[in-house]
Parts: sequence; structure tokens; C-alpha cells
Amino acid sequence: MLRQKRQILSLASRDYFHEWQISICFVLALAAVLGPMMVLFGLKFGIVGSMIEELVEDPLKREIRPVGSGHYDRVWMDKLRKRDDVAFIVPRVRSIASSLSVQSEASSRILHLEVIPSASGDPLLDASLAAPVGMDRVVLSASAARKLMVSAGDELQGSLVRTWRGRKERVVLPLKVVAIAPATAFKRDGLFASVMLVEALEDYRDGHAVPSMGWQGTAVTTERSYTGFRLYARSIYDVAALEDSFIRSGIEVRTQAADIETVRRMDNTLSAIYWAIALIGLGGFSLSLGASLWANVDRKRKELSVLRLVGFRTGEIVLFPLLQGVYTAVFGWGLACGIYLAAAWSINAMLAPQLERAQKVCRLLPEHYLIALGITLGAALLAALLAGMRAARVEPSEGLREL
Amino acid sequence: MPDPSSEIIYQLKNVARVRQSNGYAFSLRVPSLRIQRGEKIALIGESGCGKSTLLDMLAFILRPTDMDGFSFHADGANAVDIGAAWKKRRRNQLAGLRKKHLGYVMQTGGLLPFLNVHDNINLSRRMLGMKDDGTVQTLARELGLSRHLHKLPSALSTGERQRVAIGRALAHRPAIVIADEPTASVDPFAAEKIMSLFIGMVEEMNITVIVASHAWRHIKQLGLRRLAHHTRKSPDGRMTETVVSG
Ligand SMILES: Nc1ncnc2c1ncn2[C@@H]1O[C@H](COP(=O)(O)OP(=O)(O)OP(=O)(O)O)[C@@H](O)[C@H]1O
Ligand SMILES: [Mg+2]
Repeated sequence: MLRQKRQILSLASRDYFHEWQISICFVLALAAVLGPMMVLFGLKFGIVGSMIEELVEDPLKREIRPVGSGHYDRVWMDKLRKRDDVAFIVPRVRSIASSLSVQSEASSRILHLEVIPSASGDPLLDASLAAPVGMDRVVLSASAARKLMVSAGDELQGSLVRTWRGRKERVVLPLKVVAIAPATAFKRDGLFASVMLVEALEDYRDGHAVPSMGWQGTAVTTERSYTGFRLYARSIYDVAALEDSFIRSGIEVRTQAADIETVRRMDNTLSAIYWAIALIGLGGFSLSLGASLWANVDRKRKELSVLRLVGFRTGEIVLFPLLQGVYTAVFGWGLACGIYLAAAWSINAMLAPQLERAQKVCRLLPEHYLIALGITLGAALLAALLAGMRAARVEPSEGLREL
Repeated sequence: MPDPSSEIIYQLKNVARVRQSNGYAFSLRVPSLRIQRGEKIALIGESGCGKSTLLDMLAFILRPTDMDGFSFHADGANAVDIGAAWKKRRRNQLAGLRKKHLGYVMQTGGLLPFLNVHDNINLSRRMLGMKDDGTVQTLARELGLSRHLHKLPSALSTGERQRVAIGRALAHRPAIVIADEPTASVDPFAAEKIMSLFIGMVEEMNITVIVASHAWRHIKQLGLRRLAHHTRKSPDGRMTETVVSG
């Protein structure tokens, strides 16, 4: 019976392309509904998607900073670091101790830089570039690098001043720039240094000795207490929970949780609106596709009866409208993708000036195209199958004598 | 070789079809009918007397409303119980019988508009997987269609279409060909020519033929057996009944 199945499929194709004008109408009708639906979904996905992406990608949104200064010890920090929802934490020292005067060979200026404690994995720094380590390897903020006219690999000279036992003292600190931080990460003049270096700067200012650098002073610090920390949550979705846990343990913190909540609520609202439209659209789309395929099978009753007369089996007769439904679905989907791509391209091009580099207002993922194809094929096959079965049930003599 | 006249192909006993619409009823009754292999049967009668109804039942495309016995002997030996097949809704079994053993020439049309003349004639042969042995070309030549083999039916005259339909009914060498007024829609002169051609071809191929027509004079010359039938109307004209026997 395979021969007859092949034959009926070839007959269905011949008929479909013989009646190309009507076939084009069906394809157009399908694409006219599916195309705009895809644009709509592309817009929803693109707008909300890029908002969320911006949030997720922006480390500042994940930052949790303590208000005022406190007393935190290393054990407490280590415990926090082990939490799953904490991506990064380093201790901060007193802010008066965390600055440094820096000079480069290229520029005669002496710049007062904010010293930011950092480590590898710092969300503010480019993960693909070197991180600050040890007593001399540092990362400069973009504005500091520009003012000092240095780039990665250049040398710097830091200078540190203190008043100790009534005398003014100064030490020189040779530094090496291992990387420049992204401009968006830190807008002021800053220097990312290892925690070790930050601690050494504080010790020197406080008059303690720093043996590793050969700096003289009173006894080496053993029990160290930090005034703050730099903490980043694993994702924006962890911020609210972390904030709660800090508040419960009596630490007042500042976060972007409110901002995040706004976007999330907007996402939910947009999603709800979208799904309402999509469901109505999908219903209308399925109905229109089903109705046109059903009408087509009805129109073909006479031909189907001739096929029945010459002895095709019920299962084979049903293949006839089924294959034509597949053609309409696939061509209509292809055209709808074309409509979508053209619309998305113009929307994105139109709004390009308002957007950041890779942002797209209207976009779809490959799987979205496949889902659209799946839904279309499903609706088409169901309609064609039902109509085909009905056609196959009609007494052949009735169909043949139809006017 | 057995005497072909003794071989029965159709055997019907009390087969009837009742059709109703708008309070009018038509019924066709066949108390008893036997058709033997190689017979040439003519069904002559006025319009509306039930010729198409009977032929459609004989072609297994119209379900009788009543039947005591309806058997079909495709190849002499095994009989197929058509009544049982209808009752058990074995549509595919009936389709299989049509494909193998029947050719049907419709009153009008019945061609597939999207296939050219060659492919229309070749339809049943392709279904049966018969080899392309020049049969289609030979038939087309005999039917005067050689020039038209690659045309679509829409580009043919009515008489030419009717000849294509005859070609399709004969191409797979069925045991029986049923023709429902094959020449109804062409002028009388062409009708005679086409009918003679048709009967000549089935005779040559030794095919059993059942043909419906309203013109008896011409059919008689071709040597067909006429099925007797009698039509009567109820006094109020609401019931028409045709009884066929033979
Ligand atoms: N689908 C139907 N429903 C109801 N009645 C029908 C139907 N088809 C035919 N009839 C009736 O059955 C009767 C016989 O019809 P049939 O087609 O068999 O006639 P016919 O002898 O072939 O006529 P013609 O020579 O005009 O083709 C007619 O009176 C017609 O009104
Ligand atoms: Mg008729």
C-alpha cells in the first residue's frame, strides 16, 4: 500500500501547485495572521529581555553596601563568602586610609586615587583581564588611566605620607598597571588593589610596621577589624533575600532592590498583556487556518470522491488534505518569518540611535521560530485531518454527483 | 476454457435503495438480478427513473438501504458478500474491489482537473503498479486522443473529456465497466460514434459492461441485453418506485 500512499501524496502536490493561485491565497491568509503575532512576541521578548539583561549584567544592581561604618572581622566575611547567593565579597578599610597619590611617567600630574579593595572575580572588572594581586599589581579605573595617560603594562609610582611620632614620613610604592577597568564599572578616579595592599596602606598610615615592604612602625597588626565590605549578590533575584538577612542581623544596607522590583513587575505586566493578546491571536489564527483548510477540503469533495471511486483507501484519502495542509503551514510560516524579519529589522534600525550597542527592541530566538512552526503545523494538521476524515466518510456517490 | 456465459459476476436478491427528500420518496427495488461474465447490459429509461442509483450500487459507491443478498464474483471462484461489507463498514474492502475489478465512466466529469490526459487515463494502472507498456498510448490512439495526451481536461471539449473517462475506465483491464450515460452531454451524432467505439473496445477486451442510456434504438444495434424495469407513481405523485429485473 506504500505505492498508493506515494501516489496520493504526489496527486496532492500536483493539485496544490496546479491551483497555485488559491494556494497562494491560503498561504497569504496564514502569514497575515502569523507574521504580526511573531512581531508582537519579538517586541515583548526584545524589550523585556533587554531590560532584564541590563539588570542582570549590571553589577551595580547586584551590589549590597553597608550604610555607615561598622566592625566586621575576617571570620564573618569568610562565612558570607561561602553563601551560595553571594558572588563576591571583600572587606573595606576606613575611607581616610584608602587613598593614594599616584604619578606616572607619561603625565606630570599627581592624582589622588580612591583605593578600592578587590580580588579576582570582582564583578566590576573584566573577567577576561588580569586582576589586582600582591603589593604591586593594580587595576586603574578608566578615567584615572586616561588622566595618567597609562595603559595596561605601564608602571606607576604611588606615594604614601604619614605623621608618625611627630615627624612627617613618606614612602614610595612602585606599582604596575595590569589592566584598565571598563568605563561603566567605576566612573571616578580609582585604583583597584588587592586586600593585602589595602591593609598595608592602612597599617602604614596608622603607624604600624609592614615587614613585607620594609616599612617601620609599631607592632604588626594581628586582630584586624574592617569598617565595611564590598558585596555582590549572585544575581539580581538574590538581592532582596540578602537584604532581608542583613536587616535581620542588624546591619543596615543599601541595595537596588526597589529598582529590580519595578522591572520585574513591569515584566510581569507586559507578559500578562502579551499572553492575553497572544491567546486571542492564537485562537483567531487557529480558527482562520482551520476554517480555510476545512473550506478547502469541502471544495475538494468531488476530487476526493473520484479518488475514492478509483479505489483509494480511507487512510490514503486523508493524506491528500493533510499534505496540502502541511504545504500551507510551511509556506505560510516561511512567509510569516519573512514578514517578521523585515518588520524587526526596520523597528530595530529605527530605534537604533536610542539603544546601547547590542540591544535589540525586537528579537526572537531560533526556538521561537520552531515553536511558531510547531503550532502552525499542529493547527493545520488537526484541521486537515478532521476535514479529510469527514470527506472520506461521505458516500462516494454523493460526492461524485455534487454540482 | 469454461463457458463464460455460465459464470455469474453479480447476484442480487431483494436489493433496494430508498431516497427521500422534501416529502417525496423514490425507491429502486431489484427483486432478483444476475449478471454473467462477458454480458453486455443496457439500462434504458427516462430521466429520474433510477439508472444512476442502480449503477452506483453495482459499483459499490452507494449503500443499498435493504438487501437480502448481494454477492460479487470477481474472479469466478470466490464470491464477495457486498451486503456484509456495507454492513460492517468495510469501505476499504469495497475500495479494493473497485480498484481491481471495476471501471466507471461517469455521466459527466469525473476526471481529475490537475492531471493531464495521459495521467488521468493512467490513474488506476499506477495504483495497481502496472507497468508502462504502451496501453495508455494505444487506448488514446483508438479514442482519438493522441494529440491531447499532455493537455489538462479543462482544455478539452466535452466529447473529448468523455473519451478520456472511457480510457481511464478501461486502462487497467477491469473485469467490469460501468458506464452511466457516457454520451449524455454530446450531440447525437458524436454520441453514436463514441458509444460504438466504447462497445467495440469492451467487446475486444472481453469486458463485462453495464451501460445506462436513454437512446435504445442505437444501443439495440450494438447487441446489448436490455434490463427490464417498470416505474410507477403513487396516485398523489409523492412516491415513485422502479422495479428492475433481469
Ligand atoms: N441524493 C438524492 N437524494 C434524494 N433523492 C435523490 C438523490 N439522488 C437522486 N434522487 C432521486 O432518485 C431518483 C432517481 O435518480 P437517478 O439519478 O438514479 O435517476 P437517473 O435515472 O439516473 O436519471 P438521469 O437519466 O437523469 O440521470 C430521482 O427521482 C431523484 O429525484
Ligand atoms: Mg443518471
